[in-house]
This record gives sequence, structure tokens and C-alpha cells, in this order.
Amino acid sequence: MNHKKKSSLIMLMLVLLLSMVLTACGGNSGNKNTTNNSASNTPKSDSGSSDTSQEVKLKMVLLGGKPIDSDLVFSELNKKLKEKINATVEVQFLDWSDWGQKYPLIFAADEDFDLIYTSNWAFYTDQAVKGGFLELNEDMLKKYAPQTWGNMPQVSWDQAKINNKLYMVPNNNLEVINKVVLYREDLRTKYNLPEINSKETYANYLKTIAANEKGITPFGAKAADGWKWHELDQTLLEENNNFRLIDKRLPTAFKLDDATGKLFNIYETPEFKDLLGYYKDLADNGGWSKNAVTNKNDIWQDMKVGKVASYAHGLGTVGFNLAEARRDTPDLEFAIADIAPDSKKIAAISTQNGMAIHSTSKNPERSLMLLDLLQNDKEIHDLTMYGIAGTHYNPEGEDKFTAGTSPGNYTGFANWGWNSKLNRQDVAYPKEADDIFNGWEPKVFHFPLETFVFDDSKVKTEVANIGNVMVRYGIPLEYGIINDIDKGLTDLIAQLKAAGIEKVQQEMQTQVDAFLAN
Amino acid sequence: MKRSGFWSDLVKYRTLLLMLLPAVLFFIVFAYIPMTGVVLAFKQYTYDGGIFGSPWNGLDNFRFFFESGQAWQVTRNTALYNIAFIIVNNVLQIAVAILLFEVANKWFRKIFQTMLFLPYFISWVVVGAIAYNLFSYDFGMINVVLTTFGMDKIDIYNTAEYWPVLLVIVSAWKAVGYGSIMYLAAITGIDTEMYEAAEIDGANVFQRIFKITLPNLYPTIIILVLLAIGNIFRGDFGMFYNMVGNNGLLFANTDVIDTFVFRALTSSNDIGMSSAAGFYQSVLGFVTILFANYAVRKYDKDRALF
Amino acid sequence: MSAQLTSKVAKPEGSDKRLLQIIGYLFLALISLFCLVPFILVLSSSLTEESSIIEQGYQLIPAVFSLEAYKLLFEFPGQLLKAYAVTISVTAVGTFVGLLLTSMTAYALARRDFKWRNKFSFFFFFTTLFSGGLVPWYLMVVNYLHLKDTLLILVLPLLMNVFYIIVMKSFMAGIPDAITESAKIDGAGDFRIYLRLILPLCKPALATIGLFIALGYWNDWYNAMLFITKQDLMPLQYYLYKMLGNMDGMRKAMISSGAVVDLQIPTESLKMAMTVVAIGPILLVYPFIQRFFVQGLTVGAVKG
Repeated sequence: MNHKKKSSLIMLMLVLLLSMVLTACGGNSGNKNTTNNSASNTPKSDSGSSDTSQEVKLKMVLLGGKPIDSDLVFSELNKKLKEKINATVEVQFLDWSDWGQKYPLIFAADEDFDLIYTSNWAFYTDQAVKGGFLELNEDMLKKYAPQTWGNMPQVSWDQAKINNKLYMVPNNNLEVINKVVLYREDLRTKYNLPEINSKETYANYLKTIAANEKGITPFGAKAADGWKWHELDQTLLEENNNFRLIDKRLPTAFKLDDATGKLFNIYETPEFKDLLGYYKDLADNGGWSKNAVTNKNDIWQDMKVGKVASYAHGLGTVGFNLAEARRDTPDLEFAIADIAPDSKKIAAISTQNGMAIHSTSKNPERSLMLLDLLQNDKEIHDLTMYGIAGTHYNPEGEDKFTAGTSPGNYTGFANWGWNSKLNRQDVAYPKEADDIFNGWEPKVFHFPLETFVFDDSKVKTEVANIGNVMVRYGIPLEYGIINDIDKGLTDLIAQLKAAGIEKVQQEMQTQVDAFLAN
Repeated sequence: MKRSGFWSDLVKYRTLLLMLLPAVLFFIVFAYIPMTGVVLAFKQYTYDGGIFGSPWNGLDNFRFFFESGQAWQVTRNTALYNIAFIIVNNVLQIAVAILLFEVANKWFRKIFQTMLFLPYFISWVVVGAIAYNLFSYDFGMINVVLTTFGMDKIDIYNTAEYWPVLLVIVSAWKAVGYGSIMYLAAITGIDTEMYEAAEIDGANVFQRIFKITLPNLYPTIIILVLLAIGNIFRGDFGMFYNMVGNNGLLFANTDVIDTFVFRALTSSNDIGMSSAAGFYQSVLGFVTILFANYAVRKYDKDRALF
Repeated sequence: MSAQLTSKVAKPEGSDKRLLQIIGYLFLALISLFCLVPFILVLSSSLTEESSIIEQGYQLIPAVFSLEAYKLLFEFPGQLLKAYAVTISVTAVGTFVGLLLTSMTAYALARRDFKWRNKFSFFFFFTTLFSGGLVPWYLMVVNYLHLKDTLLILVLPLLMNVFYIIVMKSFMAGIPDAITESAKIDGAGDFRIYLRLILPLCKPALATIGLFIALGYWNDWYNAMLFITKQDLMPLQYYLYKMLGNMDGMRKAMISSGAVVDLQIPTESLKMAMTVVAIGPILLVYPFIQRFFVQGLTVGAVKG
């Protein structure tokens, strides 16, 4: 008994030692964080004009692989910056392969950086809520980023607000998010099919190919990367019916023409049920692969070799696909079609791309000044977006460019954070795509809830579970793999209820009502 | 009476304790101190507060898992798959190790061993891509072969029943070379005098394997199985995710805790919630290993882990 | 007497031994084939032109031969060689130190007369069950140990693994106590016994655990992903992983940048070529390590 007691002593000592080390660390980290915080959350609002007498070195974090010529371009940039705002910038790249893991970590460890790329798909809401970004106010913006303040439409600022607070300087470039389909014009004419401009004509095209072209998959579907909707849903479910989802992670929608913003579960609408019938018919007739949900291939690559005859994507990407195909595979004739031409067109929300300032940045003023130049100074914008003229690109007039001698050496990373009206367009960009875009522009529809952002902090549990239900029950149903659609739909709705869709809808409705009341 | 107190023990074991010191320090720094982060499972993490200063939120972080209605299913799947992997993989690895040891030709032995090791190096991403190439309904090699022989295609990716068998095979395939090395080393360590004695006693090779080789492997088997049991509630994410992906039709048979949690949290990226799931797995694993270790201790004190 | 002995020794040459050989060869050949074919698929796909893979899937024999993927991998030979150098040195140092520490720890735990051995075993084993997750670990390394962008952080985390310690301990527990006892009587200290007597007896175990530690280092990209940002310190696996990720990202990113892509990236064949480049050296070295596993040991010789 004696020795038992004594031998546990050594364990006790270890535990003691351990807890001592722990408290030391714990105390440290707590202190560090609080001091950092109090320092950072007081915006340095010295009176006078912007003071640039002290030279500062800014650190900027961008997503993407480091381009081969980045040092060349950024040293060029630093020469200009030194002159204009007495600052230089050092860029750190978070590679595409792992930025998702590293992005939250550099905030958690409070690493030293001033600016960082952010986006609604790159942790914007998440980091803002956790206190990773500096809150920006009107005074700061007017003072340190006057050009940006002048050029940016108010709606873009509003869209970037979370709980009425702004943490991002969004990009300033109109993008329309409506999807189009890319299809094989040569196959359409081969079978004498009518022009594709509706969901019926499109279905007809897909089914004709399924019936006649062995070895070609009519529609290239790829639900495999965790997407919670069918790729045609945005067009056929939302746009065609004037529905709009509040948050793509959730099936809660409202009607665009409903000023009261009454929310409903989109899966419970008769329109969704009809659409399921449409999808099921396509799936049963070989419209897409039976394994669409598991597909691991790159669909555009499959289309280029003639294995897939159509796919749906944003207009911008599809336009570039078309240009690429014309250059590389002239024997296959592609074309773009809008299968919901009469629907309302919606501008992409501004938080698609943007830049934020780290909450513990020592130089928030100079950082804002840098952002102002990146977005609005023609010379600096051109340099940072397209590289060095003659090497990486050749300017064509004011707003176009052609590829330079080595365009691949300065590309592939997220410099889109400062997209703006100064962006140039590649001369090779196809005219059809441009025409469609120009046709859409006047039709862009603005609505009160356009700037509403759902704060899910009270219903995180439910949001997590609903996402899982959508992947597990919604996706197989939409891709027509479940044979009995009625039963599948009942299951989906029942599972969503169990996951707490009603609670989420209620919370969202409360927020929407409060938003609209303002 | 000898006074064998703590301090005299300390002196007596000083060399052994010194030999343990680097390891003890290592695990304090790299395991125990970061381990205090488990408190995150009960907290609402913010940057202002950090790990220790963030506000407590009770069991809130656990709700997403237990209120999903899938908690039991994914926990059961995880445990069942791991049990199947432990049994199948170890039996196969032992068989391979024994046969490798018995194979007379030195060159063949080396060639076999090298070939068996290859799957270990093929990442799950690549394995998943190869599997898709084999199994896909439209162009998969298996279906191409079936149709050339005039047989019906099989739709592997839409048939949940195939997957438990498939995953067990893939797991065994990937681990066979790596795992058998451990057993081969154990067999090699068996005193050759024993074999000689058995031969003299007139035992045939099969008797020798079952009477000498296997009993001598028991300690290794028990240790490896015990070690695996501690992780019985952790699914091999790389394997399940790359083989199954987001194919909801298969989830009833293939979803494990790790893939379930991954999908639930990709959009919210909540540190507290993922810590909670990890904590749940740890507690289950801890309880299981305590029982297993207790059972082994009762049977043979020396073979237990602790 | 002598005739009897020969007949008994000769008996294993009979039918049972032949049967075992047949079973052995067939069984091992079958499994080996299963293991080999996917690798051939990888190897040959790495040598196939990208569009051919997209059209026809991975191939056992390249339909259209192409070295494009390897050209891309070796586009910057300096960087690739540097990555090899980092991996090789980290693996060498880590394996040597790791093996020493692992076996030393295991020996102390394996000593039956060591009173606290179970408590220590539990102390180590417990770390495999509970962990604080990524964030505390990252903070520890970056903010307290300040090991970001050092070679040390590639070596340290993989130095000791409880799994290996326990396996090693179980190997050592198989060595008869008599050896330690007799050495003690001769006046040898614990460390001396470990170094001079026990280590030579554990060669197969050392080779096995050494191989596992080495493979752990060789295949590690995760620590590099978290902690290495300097190009010069990137180990091979991370270099390759990053390259593929960025190539894939680049194509998508270029479109978003508003340029018509003029970049043919053979993602599929590249993925395969990466596997080959990473395995290559191991396959070359492996046959030389193998002799440690198959060498029989006569404990009795030492025992006597």
C-alpha cells in the first residue's frame, strides 16, 4: 500500500508540472489577446490630414500560388507606392491547395499582417463575427480611401455589412450571376433541333443526344464537390419562378415581387415538385450520368474532348470556355444559350471579392490608402491586375488587353479583391457572351432584400444539420437517382423538419422583418 | 523492514527515469499542453478571448451531432467498419507474413514484399480516382468488361449494399504490405532453436506454424489490436471521403463520424463544434480501451497496454 | 539413433512442405498482383497524354505516350532537387534520433522490475486518445515554440509516436529477463544494458520501426503545409501537393482574372506522375532494407 501511494506521487508531480506550464501559457495567451484587442479596436482617428511622413511596410495576404514573376511586379509596385503613400507592401500567398486550413489559423495565431483577401466564400462572415477583421467606418473610408468611397455604389457597401457593421472593402465591378448553358451547336444542327431558349427546348436537346449519340453524356453534372443544389436549380427553380434563396446553404426562399419578404421552404412548393418531374424525366432518359453525384471528372475537360455535350455555369466562365474551345478544338462547335431569357437578372453581391484589414493591423490607415490605389489608380490597378505591360499583357486601348509574351508568369492568384471599373477585358473574349451580358445589364433587378445577410449564430446547430440533409436526401432526389420522387420528397421534407428547418426559418423571418422595417 | 520509499525508488530507477525523460518532455510539450484545447468543445470561440478566455457555452457545441438523428448510425458505422478492418487486415497481414517467411526463394520473397508495399504509397485521392475509373456506370472498366460478355451492368455507386465489402477490401489492400512487415519482424524475432526442436520432434510445417509461429505472435497481435481498439471510433476520413464522396445514397452504409462532421461543418467552419465531435470520439475510445485493457490484464498481466 | 534423426529432419522436405510452398506462392502472387496492377495504372497514366486519359480513363498501356507531366514536374529542377534534399535530410535525422528515443523509452517501459512502467505507459498512451485539435497545436508551435519556417518543425512532431513505442516495448518484452539479470550481476548499468545488449537483439524490430518512422517523414506534407512558407524549406511531398493544387487552382483563377486561358495543365497525368516521383527513391532503397526483416536471429546464442 505504501509503495502504491508513493508511486502515484510521481504522476501527481507530473500533473502539477503540467498544470504549472499550462497556467503560464494560458495566462500569456489571454493577456496577449486582450491587449491586442484593446489596441486594435480603437480606430486611430487623429485629426489633420492623412499622415504619411513615416515610411511603413504593409503585409498583404492573398489566396493562390505565388506567381513566378510576383517579385518583379511587386517591386515595381513598391516603387510607385513609396512615391505615392510612402509605403511598401509584402505579399504572402496562401496556396490554393490549403488556404482553407491556413486562413483561420493565421487569425487564431494573430500573425502579423495588415490586409487580407476575403469573400463570402472565403470566411468573410465567419472571421468578421469572430473578431478577425477591423471594423471600417464612414469617416475612415472618406479620409483614407476617398476615391473608393466616391466610386462605390452604396448598395455594395450595404451588402458587405454584417449586423450593420462593415468589415470589407468590396470589389467594384458589376457581375451578373445568372447561369447559362454551354452546348454543342454542331450537334443541335445535326439533328435539326430548334433554338435552345427554354427548359423544354433544352430538355429536347439533351434527350435527343442521349438517344442518338452513344458515348456522349448529354449533360455534364458534378454534384460531387459538396454542392447542395442541382446545377440547373438556380435557373429553373429560382429565376424561372422569381424565387430567391436567402442563403445558398439553406432551402429558405422568398418571392422577388413580394415586398413583405415572406419566407417559405422552396422544397415544399409545387414548382419544386414539377421540376423534380422534369429532372426525373431527364435522368430516366439518360440526360446525365447515373453516377453524376460521384462524378470526379473535370466537366469542361470532358466537353473539350467531346465526351459531354452541355453544362451549366456562370456566364463569365462559359464565355472563356467558348474562347478557349475556338482556339484549341475548332472541330467542335460550341454555343451559349440562356434557358431562362425572360427571368429577372440579378447582380452578384459585392462580397464576392474584397479586401479586409486585420483587426490587429498596426497600420490600418495606410492599408486603406493602399486599397484605394489598388482599386482606383489606373496605373497601379493595371500593374497589379495584369502585370507588366509587354511582358504579361499588352494594353489595347483603355479597357481591353491581349496576352503578353509570358502571361502565365503573373496570374493564378486572387488579385480580384480589387476588381473595379478599371478592369480590362481580354480581346479574345467572345462577342456572344458580351452580347448576352449587355442584354442582361439593363434588366438587372434590384430588390430590398438584396443586401440582407443572414446571421446564423443562433441556429448554427440547425444550419449544420440542414446542410447534411440537403446533401444526403436532396441531391440524389434532384439527380433522379431515387425512383419514387413522391416518397423521396416526403422524406426530404420530413428530415428537414427533424433537422430544425422551422426554427431556422423563424429566426430568418425575424431578421428579415427587422431588416425590412428599417 | 526495508524502507523502500519514493525517494529511494527514485534513486534506484534514476537511469531508467532519465531514459524516459526526453519522451516525457516531448509528450508534455507536443501532446499534453495542446490537449488543454479540449476546453474549446465547451466554448464559443472568439479571437478576443482565445482558447481560455472565450465564453463557455455548455453543451451547445454537441447539439449539432446529437440532434441530427444520425448520431447513432454514424457511430455504429464507424465502430463496425473499424472492427471489420481490424479483423480482416490482421488476419490477412499475419497470413502474408507467415507465408513470406516460409517462401523458400529469397528473390521471390523480396519481389512479393515490394509489390505488396505499393498500395501504401498511393494516396487516397488517387485511389478514389482509380476506383471511379473502375466502377463508374457509363465508362467504368468493370462495366465495360461485363457488357462485352453480354452481362448486365452493375451500378456500384448507387447500390449501398456493395460498399461495406468494397471498403473492407480496399482497406485490406492498402494496409497489407505495411502491416505485414510488423508481423514479419515478430516472426523473424522468434528463436530459431524452437523451429529446430519442432522439426526434430517430427512436426510438419503446418503444425509448426500453428504450434510455434502463431503462439509466438500472440503478444504482437494483442498489442496491435489493443492499439487499434483505442481508435475504434475514429473513421479513416481520407478513405471514406475519397471513395464515397458526397454520394448521399450510400450514406446509410458508409457514413462515419468523421465524414458526417466534415460535411456538417464545411460551411460554418466552427472550431467549437469540431472539437466537440472530437471529444465525443475520444471519450468513447477511452472507455472502450479501458475495458479492453482490463480484459487483457485479467487474462495476462504482461500483455496489457498499461 | 543417427538414422532416426536424419529421417525426421528429412521429413519436412516431404509433401507438407511442398504444399505450403504452393499455397504460399499462389496466395502471395495473387495478392501481389492486386497490389501491382493499380500501381502500373498509375505509372502508365503518368506517361499518357492528358486528353487520352480524359477520353478513355486511366490505361494499363499508354494509348498516346507523353512525358508532359514529368516535364512540368521538372520544370524547375532546382526546386525539385531542393525539396528532395529537405526530405532526405529530415528523414535521415528524424529516423536516427527518433529510433534512438523510441527504443530507449520502450526499453524502460519493458523492464519488468520497473515499478512505474504501467503508469508511464498510460501517460504516453493517453495522448493517442485525446487531442486539443488543430488550433491549440498551431498556437503552441507558432507563438510559443516559434518554430514556424524552421526545419526543426519538420523533424520534431514525428520524432516519437506512442504506437511505435508500445510496439517496440512489446518486442523487447519478449527478450528473456535472464539477459538483463546476468548483465546486472556483472555490474552493467541500465543504459549500458540497453545499448550493448538489448539493441543488438532487437534488430528486426528496430528495422521495422525505423522503416515506419522513415516513411512517416517521407510522406509528411501536413506539418510542412501548416508551418512552412519558405520555398527552400519545403519537403518533397508538400512541394508536389502544393504544385498540383496550384495548377488546378490556376486554371480556375485565370478565368476569374478575366484572361482567356492559354495553359494546358495535365492535371490527371500530373497527379499520377507525382505519385511515381514520390515513390521512386523508396522503391530503390527498399530492397536494401529488406534484408533486416528476413534475417533470422538466434537469441539462444546470446542467452548462453
